Amino acid sequence: MADDAALRRLIAGIGRGEADSLAALYDLTSPKLYGLILRIQRDRALAEDVLQDVYMRIWQAAGGYRPEAGRPMPWLATIARNRAIDSVRRKIEVQGPELDSGEDWVARLIDPHDGAAAFLDRDALVACLGRLEPLHRECVVRAYCEGRSREELALRFDRPVNTIKTWLHRALSALKTCLETAS
Amino acid sequence: MTGTGAPDPDDADLRAAEYVLGTLDLREREAVEREAAGDPVARARIAAWERRLGPLAEAVPAEPPPPRVRAALLRALPKPGGADARQIEALRAQLRRWRTAAGGAGLLAAGLALFLAVGPSLKPADGRYLAVVQGGGTLPALIVRVDTRTGIAQVRRVNAEAPADRSLELWYVGTQGPKPLGLVDAGQSRVRLPAETTPDGVIAVSVEPPGGSPTGQPTGPVVYTGKLIAE
Repeated sequence: MADDAALRRLIAGIGRGEADSLAALYDLTSPKLYGLILRIQRDRALAEDVLQDVYMRIWQAAGGYRPEAGRPMPWLATIARNRAIDSVRRKIEVQGPELDSGEDWVARLIDPHDGAAAFLDRDALVACLGRLEPLHRECVVRAYCEGRSREELALRFDRPVNTIKTWLHRALSALKTCLETAS
Repeated sequence: MTGTGAPDPDDADLRAAEYVLGTLDLREREAVEREAAGDPVARARIAAWERRLGPLAEAVPAEPPPPRVRAALLRALPKPGGADARQIEALRAQLRRWRTAAGGAGLLAAGLALFLAVGPSLKPADGRYLAVVQGGGTLPALIVRVDTRTGIAQVRRVNAEAPADRSLELWYVGTQGPKPLGLVDAGQSRVRLPAETTPDGVIAVSVEPPGGSPTGQPTGPVVYTGKLIAE
């Protein structure tokens, strides 16, 4: 993964309308963004459309990117996740039969397999996730990493949607308190 | 969200958290984005949750996309180096000046209104607004008269130059991203607004291939942009 300075230079170039910079940013970051999109939008054809749309949005948005807005990779990842979630929420029906991906996201977080640079906040988040009720943690992590809706989580855990909503709210409140204490 | 009582800060924070987590439905997501477009406090709540949960994105493995996506992306970009390149560059310079002055038009154009200060919401006095859509100079380039009651916008071109072999396309940019309104003709034209038009929205003009954007989204540089102001 490219360092922040290189990504910032490319984003600045895209802001000046340089197609080469967009191509270079695409080469450096598209596997990560496609990975994020594909876990949420599991239809590959639709995921490809989302990916292209994400880079068109980056093309449009790059001129407005300010370093104060945060590091470039999380900024790009936020655009990708938002577009992917919009794309699955637009459909009425609950997604896919494959409700249990079998992934242990927290374990992956502790040992990210693509060797990306550790975020400073990662250890705190892992510790705080570890303190949640296991089912609540599952809901939070599957929602974030796999784009699961409340309805899908209700189906997965065989609970009413309102219970899932309560779980999510409890877990998010507990996470916030824990992270504020940790920092 | 729809209650009339005093807003509960905890509720607002949980909504922001669920927005970032992704568990809101489409209507709830749009409501959060609308709120964030006009409220820096709401934007800060969302940004704080993006920071808190962001490390989880690290857990998701990368996957190389098929090469056709890269090819399609680059095809969709405006061609560089044509006869019109210099004129487009001049328009871009105008855009840069505007961005420096106003900050972040590109973000808004990308539908990321949540990161952008749009200013306080305007009272929809009688549903009529005026957008002076300008580039870098002091001369208004386009005057857009918007009537949200009838859903009609009248566009008058004052000083909007299209580069040769390019069309200028008019967009309404709301919380759902840019919606095409039509091409900017030489004279006055009437365009129909998308249903979700609100005073928080922005009118923008981009440089497109002849006949307009092939993708339904702006593909060229956004050269003009203007906010709606109550008439």
